[in-house]
Amino acid sequence: MSNIIIVFFSDCGGQHRAIRNTQSVASAQLDPDVIAKRTRRHLDELERSNYSEPSALLAGEEDEDGTAGGRTGKGRARQATSDKRAAELGKKKKSTMNVRTAVLYKKSFTMLLDESGLASYPASVPTYLSAAAPPPKEPPRMLCSICGYLGKYRCKRCSMPYCDKNCEEVHDEARCERRVI
Amino acid sequence: MPSYLKHTRIVVVDNGASTIKLGVKGFNDSDSRVIPNAIVRSKGDKATYYGHEIEKCTDYSSLHYRLPFEKGYLVDWDAQKAIWDGIFTTDYLMLDPTESSLLMTEPYFNLPNLQDVYDQFVFEEYEFQSYYRCTPASLVSYGKLYREKGQPSPECVLVVDSGFSFTHVVPMINGSIMWEAVKRIDVGGKLLTNQLKELVSFRQWNMMDETYVMNDVKESCCFVSTQFTRDLDICRANPIGNPIVQEYILPDFSLNRRGHVRRPDEMMEDSYQILHMNSERFAVPEIMFRPDDIGLEQAGLAQTIAHSISLLPEDIQGMFWSNIGLIGGSTKFPNFCSRLAAELRTLAPVDSEVKIYESSDPILEAYRSAIAFASKPDFLQKVVTREEYNESGSNACRRKFPDWKPKEGEAALTKGKVSVELQDVVREDEEGAPAHPGDVVGRKTDSALG
Repeated sequence: MSNIIIVFFSDCGGQHRAIRNTQSVASAQLDPDVIAKRTRRHLDELERSNYSEPSALLAGEEDEDGTAGGRTGKGRARQATSDKRAAELGKKKKSTMNVRTAVLYKKSFTMLLDESGLASYPASVPTYLSAAAPPPKEPPRMLCSICGYLGKYRCKRCSMPYCDKNCEEVHDEARCERRVI
Repeated sequence: MPSYLKHTRIVVVDNGASTIKLGVKGFNDSDSRVIPNAIVRSKGDKATYYGHEIEKCTDYSSLHYRLPFEKGYLVDWDAQKAIWDGIFTTDYLMLDPTESSLLMTEPYFNLPNLQDVYDQFVFEEYEFQSYYRCTPASLVSYGKLYREKGQPSPECVLVVDSGFSFTHVVPMINGSIMWEAVKRIDVGGKLLTNQLKELVSFRQWNMMDETYVMNDVKESCCFVSTQFTRDLDICRANPIGNPIVQEYILPDFSLNRRGHVRRPDEMMEDSYQILHMNSERFAVPEIMFRPDDIGLEQAGLAQTIAHSISLLPEDIQGMFWSNIGLIGGSTKFPNFCSRLAAELRTLAPVDSEVKIYESSDPILEAYRSAIAFASKPDFLQKVVTREEYNESGSNACRRKFPDWKPKEGEAALTKGKVSVELQDVVREDEEGAPAHPGDVVGRKTDSALG
């Protein structure tokens, strides 16, 4: 599966560089699964609502605020944010069992998807699971992971693309610590 | 229709993952209130703001967001209730929810277990008198997006809804969604803002905690490139003095100064912190057209539209090519329409006309269409009433709402029921030849679905 690594021979990088990369690509056996996992992790990071973890940012405010979810440091069940809010608003209504369940037991989207039973629907029924766009038709472009311009080379250790010697240096110093092998 | 419904006030709520668009039919309804669908904690203000209260915020640095939506679906009902509690009140709406009707939007392919929770909140918690739930695209045919002078509304349309969580391509015939051809690209405004945050944090200032600021940078500076490699070359050739680069003056909340793009004649002050927006301006929205630039293995928007149309009956495909409409906040990037049109032209059959309709306000298009729908005399015949819900629960909603829902047989196929059936099968098979358990599961599930 080393065919995903494409090394472009270019006029500006010099022939010896291209040869060097070809050799290193051959020797460094990059596991496509590891790269796919790294891409997956990056895509998950792009879904986050906050960069800092709530525990770090709101430590100490958790008890008073309850926004961090889960249980407080003292081990007692947290007060639901909406209960605190309802009290502030002077709302007296007692919620039904269904509503209380939804408020108190938060489930992640993955859990809810699992519980929805969509996976057992026949393939002829369109659902969330079947609606994802098809894979792209063109091969992916190589964009430099440092400066964003069109890249020509890939790092021999982590296979991230870069465009020239400057970006290669920056990559080696700053980005390659995320090496995958 | 019960007679008391005739004079009911109708509350319209386009409940998005980023903002709630809310208004009351016949009551300043052309201008909806746009409320962040978030609980926001401001470190500087030492205060928490729920939904519409964000207008009281003075320090937008390092805001902490709690969003009820995850991946486009409503999962945090505690947070959503805290926000809804503030707006579904007599004080805020100027009417009593228990005496009014509600029109609420839901995401495409909403999960059946989540649809039930929507119904429970509307009837059990807020006790609306009646309610209608549907997706934003199915409202669009009531609005003005496809209206042209002297022309009737087209029968076949294709709505592109690009919002905060994802982008959907939704073909419709006579207002009904063709679900088997609906396609989703997992790129929306949230991902784009986060990508921009990453790029500038690596290249210039650490903005990882500045979601609010970077969203404003995205909205002020980003555009869709019509020639991506040419624009990259322009930026690379002269990183400081090219026609694309912009200087964004970062906000200073201690001085109550908001961020903005530097105007050509604006004097620079020492205290200004500048963010240079160069190729980032177009490399970020580019992801909608090339999701594989960030490793997402999904086709770009134009290809996805072509794919969706290819799944529709061949003799009417041409009508979809010529009736593409754009809604949702992420379609607002400059040049979005011209780039899409250019790419579609190369994918469409030569004899098909490609025509794209743009909304005057893509964020409010679904809301305004919803107001138009609520104003129709037959709207109140399509709602589910509280009595009907009290009698048959969410089944009443499944029967009446036209958008995607589990079909009769599938609705009954809950997890518990499947396992009971499987036990029966295993017992049957024990008598005969031992079968591979996997085969049994496959066979019985198929027959149960009939």
